[in-house]
Amino acid sequence: MTVRSRPLSPHLQVYRWTITMTMSIVHRATGIANYAGSALLVLWLVAAAWGPEPLDAVNGLFGSWFGQLVLFGYTWSLTHHMLGGIRHYVWDFILGMEAGQREMLAWANVIASVVLTLLIWTIFVWVG
Amino acid sequence: MREQIITQKTIADPRSHYGDAKASTRHFITQRLTGVSNIAFLLLLLFVVVRLAGEDRGDMVETIGSAWIGLPLALLLGIVTIHMRNGMRDILEDYFHGRTYRLYMMLNTLFCLIIAVAGIGAILKLVFWG
Ligand code: HEM
Repeated sequence: MTVRSRPLSPHLQVYRWTITMTMSIVHRATGIANYAGSALLVLWLVAAAWGPEPLDAVNGLFGSWFGQLVLFGYTWSLTHHMLGGIRHYVWDFILGMEAGQREMLAWANVIASVVLTLLIWTIFVWVG
Repeated sequence: MREQIITQKTIADPRSHYGDAKASTRHFITQRLTGVSNIAFLLLLLFVVVRLAGEDRGDMVETIGSAWIGLPLALLLGIVTIHMRNGMRDILEDYFHGRTYRLYMMLNTLFCLIIAVAGIGAILKLVFWG
């Protein structure tokens, strides 16, 4: 009789890459990004309440190429996390958990978040 | 919570429980409910930002200063900070415990409180005092 050796303690690197795993990590990462991003929103609101000069300064910062880059990333992060949250609600009803379905939902999550973000920026910033 | 020493006996015992079942269920439900509210927040935020990005103070006062927009925005922003604190707790619980956890949790509460007070304060200023 052959004796199988005991399994080693698993570590992150030993797992095969999967889209579902990646989307789980990204949901956490976007949660953290949204957490930090709330400071940008509050900075804008406080500047507006404060007076015209602070508001001009914040508008200048947000209007710069770097500010726009950050705000574009923030838009994507919010969109992706929102869709990821809705995915959690689907799972809460024990739906979409089967093999194939969960991969489909994960891909839909990324693709829809990118499409929505580009749509928002195209309609309201680049064209509007 | 007190720092717990987890022995092999505790792990082997199927009756041992980790964490606080009641509090964790409450955190789970809080996160779902505040998440739904955050969808409404994001829609209102999109409306406000599209109208006001780069605009001057007069326009900000006109739009956010309107109670119909300002007050819901203030309320929804308050709920966002609950979601932020609760979500960050989830993350901290995964990577820290004991004193370190409590320290980070305190900083988490402090940050979310500052966001809530500054954000809601600024909106109310625009609504009631222009
Ligand atoms: C407004 C900005 C938002 C911020 C700052 C934020 C922040 C966070 C954070 C920090 C977490 C913890 C992540 C983790 O445990 O890995 C989280 C989790 C979660 N968020 Fe958000 N979030 C926001 C918007 C939303 C929206 C719009 C929804 C719903 C559509 C949502 C639904 C959820 C859910 C369901 C979880 C729990 C996920 C789980 O159980 O693992 N969030 N959020």
